[in-house]
Amino acid sequence: MWQGKGKTAIAGIGYSEISRRPQKPLGLLAIDACRAAIEDAGLRADQVDGLATYPESPFAGAGNRDGEDVVSVNWVMNHLALAPDLKWYAQIETGMIASPMIEAVNALIADACEYVLVWRALHRPRPRAAGNSASGGAPRAAGDAQFIAPYGGSSIVQTHALAWQRYTHRYGATREALAALALNSRRNANLNPRAFFYKEPMTRDDYFNSRWIAEPLCLFDCDVPVDGCVALILTTAERARDLANPPAYIAGYGQNTANRRTLFYYTLDDYMACGQSLANKLWAAAGLGPRDMDAAELYDGFNPSTLYWLEAAGFCGEGEGASFVQDGRIALDGALPVNTFGGSLSEGRMHGMGHIAEAVRQVTDRAERRQIPGASAVCAIDGSPMLRGSGIIVTREP
Amino acid sequence: MAAKKPIPAADDLSSPFWDAAKEHRLMVQRCGSCGYYNHPPRPYCDACTAQDLRFEAVSGRGTVYSFTVMHQRDVAGFEEEAPFINIVVELAEQARLLMVSNLPRSESARVKIGVAVEVYFEDRGEGVVIPQFRIT
Repeated sequence: MWQGKGKTAIAGIGYSEISRRPQKPLGLLAIDACRAAIEDAGLRADQVDGLATYPESPFAGAGNRDGEDVVSVNWVMNHLALAPDLKWYAQIETGMIASPMIEAVNALIADACEYVLVWRALHRPRPRAAGNSASGGAPRAAGDAQFIAPYGGSSIVQTHALAWQRYTHRYGATREALAALALNSRRNANLNPRAFFYKEPMTRDDYFNSRWIAEPLCLFDCDVPVDGCVALILTTAERARDLANPPAYIAGYGQNTANRRTLFYYTLDDYMACGQSLANKLWAAAGLGPRDMDAAELYDGFNPSTLYWLEAAGFCGEGEGASFVQDGRIALDGALPVNTFGGSLSEGRMHGMGHIAEAVRQVTDRAERRQIPGASAVCAIDGSPMLRGSGIIVTREP
Repeated sequence: MAAKKPIPAADDLSSPFWDAAKEHRLMVQRCGSCGYYNHPPRPYCDACTAQDLRFEAVSGRGTVYSFTVMHQRDVAGFEEEAPFINIVVELAEQARLLMVSNLPRSESARVKIGVAVEVYFEDRGEGVVIPQFRIT
């Protein structure tokens, strides 16, 4: 077991408005979320002396103007009055949002700082101009894109569609599996007042009648692009016990470390090895296993990723995900509630931050009408196991 | 007016690939040390990091590794063609030696994972020739 188990905790959660037509630029939404997290923890802003984020755009080419398209450590330092002498920061370029959380945990255990603010701000990219063809000529595709864009390959949704196509071919799964996941997420989002689809139910017919995006993935297999920010406060377990909320103790973490040579068109083939490389560390650190989880918040930027995580993290066997998600097993009152807040599919694209915030709510009895009675351990895993990811386990007791 | 389809911006590494395409030949970068095929071409071998790299002709035969039908009409140059089919081809020479291609919409009933394909060359005009694959 990891010697850091239970030594740090998440003590505050802050959300900005999550919408598609924000009245504020992204930086100001980030400030809203950061202030809300600080207030939720019962702290003053000048007590925050550590900062960590993962400021990547939703996809390559989506823009990276600081304060508008992304919100960096530097931007928050310059625009939010925190401790006069910040002690520590980290800005992560790979992994996902649990990765800066992991850095923050390590910094707290090393006594580098006392209270860390972690945020993830994401904008909804506006329609793109068709390349740099100001003169009316064809856009030029450089780098790896020269082998893809001339064929109309432009979006990550196509990559996920290619992988899901292989999954259905290999294991005989059908859209029923994705429908079960999407409908489960929507039901949970209808109980989550912060969710983009809080007030919009979805029926089975809605799912099957929705338009294709990249076949075999439909509209409801894609997360909702939104503008917004989620922020969290991390501190040591000892300090957390003196703050406003019950602490959600961090029992373990893991990052994807498996060999993956297929970044060009990342394929399904590596998902078990890549996902297991993360999950094995997660379970070993916490001294817990899949059966000890009272819920699993599994990233769903595209719907199939949740299914891959269920298998790679050991909740079910390889190729068994499609049957595992049926029969109410993943519902709030099922054997393994999954994406209890609505996931990225129905809460909004917060790149895994919503998953972590919900795990915290569940183990601290703050999950509103979605509360799983007595939830004691919940995992939040982000990314996609065929590419990269990071995850944490939070617990009610240290 | 719909945008034109993107054209490959050949660079120092990739120009042998595109030059060969103009002559209707499919060439892939291969490592002289370990024999691994690298696509896209790299300044080092992706398998063993050796720098002993050269382009070799390949058979142009392979199978459909996966496919998807893009319905979104926001893909530069493909606005008028959606829905259009993309396939990923696994070349016969090496497992997971992958290339992207298109198939005409009329092939939607025939395209399946594992179906055999072969290369041909599409002239896009203005000196641009790109490899494409068709079901054999």
